[in-house]
Amino acid sequence: MTDIAQGAPAAAPKGNAASAAPAAARQGPLDLTLSFVDGAAVRGTAGAAADPDWLLADRLEGLRAFEALPIETNQLYTTYIDLRNAHLAAARPYAGPAAVSPGAGAAKLLPEGAAAYAEIRENQIAALVLSAEARDAGLILETLAQTQTRDPELLRKLVEGGCALPENDKLAQMTRALWSGGLLIHVPDGVRLERPIVLRWSVGAPDTALLTRTIISLGEDAEVSVVEEQVSADASAPISTDAQAFFAGTTEAVIGAGSTLSFAGLQDFSLRQIAFQHRSTVLARGATVRWALAQLGCRVVRSRIDNRLEGDGSTVEQAEIVFGSADQLFDLTSYTRQVGRDTTGNLLSKAVLADRSRAYMKGLATIEHSAHGTDSFLGEFAMLLSKQARSVAIPSLEIDQPDCRRVAHASSVGPIDETQLFYLESRGLDPDEARKAIVLGYLEPVVARVPLESAQDRLRELLEAKWDARTVARPAAAAVA
Amino acid sequence: MATSPEIVSGEYKYGFHDDVDYLEETKAGLTRETVEAISRFKDEPQWMLDFRLRAYEHYLSRPMPQWGGDLMQIDLSKIVYYRKPSQGEEKSWDDVPDKIKKTFERLGIPEAERKFLAGVGAQYDSEVVYHSVREELSKIGVVFMGTDQGLKEYPELFRKYFATVVPPEDNKFAALNSAVWSGGSFVYVPKGVEVPLPLQAYFRINAENTGQFERTLIIVDEGAKVHYIEGCTAPIYTTDALHAAVVEVIALPHSKVRYTTIQNWSNDVYNLVTKRAHAHAYSTVEWIDANTGSKLTMKYPSIYLRGEGATAEVISVAVAGKGQHQDTGAKAIHLAPNTRSRIISKSISKDGGRTTYRGQLKVVPGATGVVASVRCDALLLDEGSRSDTYPYIDIQEDDTTMTHEATVGKISQDQVFYLMSRGLTENEATNLVVQGFLEVFTKELPMEYAIEFNRLVKLEMEGSLG
Repeated sequence: MTDIAQGAPAAAPKGNAASAAPAAARQGPLDLTLSFVDGAAVRGTAGAAADPDWLLADRLEGLRAFEALPIETNQLYTTYIDLRNAHLAAARPYAGPAAVSPGAGAAKLLPEGAAAYAEIRENQIAALVLSAEARDAGLILETLAQTQTRDPELLRKLVEGGCALPENDKLAQMTRALWSGGLLIHVPDGVRLERPIVLRWSVGAPDTALLTRTIISLGEDAEVSVVEEQVSADASAPISTDAQAFFAGTTEAVIGAGSTLSFAGLQDFSLRQIAFQHRSTVLARGATVRWALAQLGCRVVRSRIDNRLEGDGSTVEQAEIVFGSADQLFDLTSYTRQVGRDTTGNLLSKAVLADRSRAYMKGLATIEHSAHGTDSFLGEFAMLLSKQARSVAIPSLEIDQPDCRRVAHASSVGPIDETQLFYLESRGLDPDEARKAIVLGYLEPVVARVPLESAQDRLRELLEAKWDARTVARPAAAAVA
Repeated sequence: MATSPEIVSGEYKYGFHDDVDYLEETKAGLTRETVEAISRFKDEPQWMLDFRLRAYEHYLSRPMPQWGGDLMQIDLSKIVYYRKPSQGEEKSWDDVPDKIKKTFERLGIPEAERKFLAGVGAQYDSEVVYHSVREELSKIGVVFMGTDQGLKEYPELFRKYFATVVPPEDNKFAALNSAVWSGGSFVYVPKGVEVPLPLQAYFRINAENTGQFERTLIIVDEGAKVHYIEGCTAPIYTTDALHAAVVEVIALPHSKVRYTTIQNWSNDVYNLVTKRAHAHAYSTVEWIDANTGSKLTMKYPSIYLRGEGATAEVISVAVAGKGQHQDTGAKAIHLAPNTRSRIISKSISKDGGRTTYRGQLKVVPGATGVVASVRCDALLLDEGSRSDTYPYIDIQEDDTTMTHEATVGKISQDQVFYLMSRGLTENEATNLVVQGFLEVFTKELPMEYAIEFNRLVKLEMEGSLG
């Protein structure tokens, strides 16, 4: 069974035996086994980073909220959370912010076609490089530690007055309390970058915990696209180890009037990874955010997206795909709050679930009273490839303003369409090829939204690889648990 | 005329027209003694007393629900949980609010019936109709009587099915109902019998009075078929703060049950109802459910598809006006292969009213070949009205075909303009559009109900009901 993996690994420090032991006995769906979140850890993190007083206060505020909040505050979702496979009692955060490697700024590290590149390997900044063109245009890509040195007031403004992590979210508040590194992307007014910024996280050493924030600030009439790749650092780590790794990351974007952020996130961590993701945006008048998110990896991933359409005429386009296998759990929540007039929300989730994988797709679109002329669509779709797979869709609407263009949601669940399968087989594809073509075709509309062509191709490769691995691993699936 | 003298009037209307002579009423508030007293007044068997006490204990231990509507205004300690029907306070026609009187008038409710509905008059002549219907039914073996009477006359059948669909532990208000239930209908349709006419609880209840904590148990044996209708379009005037009913339906293999509700409680009632059906193999269960009245309704008719090939259908309509919250929906739980369900929900919010659709669709592992659909449409007629949709779709079987769609919008100005250009007033045009929106529901009603329901909606739309 899955729960035995908790059996205290040798690395577990003695001081935490008390918290590890009961978890080993029986871990409930709501049990967060992390054992390092306390005041001392917060002060230690702040000390290591030489935080100013206001930042320490902000962290302590986050800790207070963390301690006060239940794991899920939204009553709509309390029965759909399951952390039983997250065995994190032994995970330890890195001390202090990531150090920048010598040579991280070397121009040769910049991938072809990218405006800027940052690569984070565990707690090390392996690359941090901007194209000359992007630098000249005024783009800033730096670590938050660098921001603190360069422009402490800017950091304070972004952390205290930015789009803010959700106040009612225990896990987001934990990241607020204990983040130890992060990145800033700033695009000044009027700057429109054609080429994307690429961020690459490669983490996952056993028993580590990395808590990090990515802050994005777009001035007015600016435009940028970001491709974020999250992969497993440590492909060589013995698969036999039970020790998991923990990642908590944010994307906090303030998008100025008339600006556009395209963000493609590609999560392909190892099956020993537990990840909590928080992505929040605040949109000013006429601003647009486009999310294209692919969730492939992790044993358990819990993701939350908050879109706040404050400005009149602002738009969110959100597309998310999931491809699950083994006993992966994808716990995905998205909140879209439409506040301004004539805002548009177009949110689409598509899951393909093999083996014993599960997806919880929880979407809530709230149309506030001030939001006249809203257009809002929320779609949650799933394709189940195995008897043991499970899909939960909760596409909810809260509408306080009748004067809307369209408010709708839709959802469907089903197996691979037999007619399509028959058609492809009649064209000479063998059944597995035909199934693969249908599954990849089902996900393709989201793949096509990834802004960088090379990232698109990479995502296609990953999806194909995942399909093939699933097919091959199928008879031995039990071995994964 | 068989006007029974002991049913005169009453603020509370628990009576059933049988010969049991209730002597007292309980004190306000709910204690263990209250529950014991109710059982004693009714001269119930020990097992029912034990059941009530078990429910009472659970009721005490269960917290108030924190979701859905605002339940904080209910003062459970002020309710008299049982009172002999004839001991209600006398009330006069003059005390009935104008709004209700006006509605009766507009709906064309006969004078005598108006007084009954308002709780100030004696029953009217429907008892005659009811008795002749009952005679017809008993010829074909159909049982249709008050639930208390059912417990006495059919003790074994009753005990076999009672609380098997909604156990007292289901929710706080099911526990409350189980502890203090009184009244409701008991229906048994024997194997292979098709009941030709709808069973109208309206007639039965006219004869015997309705209740605050009514409990209905419907058992439809193999291959049998029945349509049960409760409620009526006229507003039921009551000063009761709370109506907490439980309805259990058991559809045995190859049977067919349709349960139609048109409930129009007056706008100060909290209507918290648990309705659930078990659909066995190749049976069909349909809930046709309209909610126009009450201050707050929380009601989610459910069907557990337990046998292979069973079919479920829920068509529900909610209309929320000023100060009203209709928190309604439906649940289909697929527990067996090749089961089908269809849920259609239509809601209208106006004058600051609030509607909520809350539904669940679940397919468990092993329930292969399920086909399910959920459709929710909401109309918001004006500023300040609100509509929420919370569907839960939990699919644990790959061989499932499920679709869900929901839309929320305002009345199409194009449609209204078109109709006005054909000579209708704006009111008439709006009305017609609303009636079209609700047609999927009204076409399922027997004709006389459909006509009354359309009339009621029209009155609601005109705002002539205040």
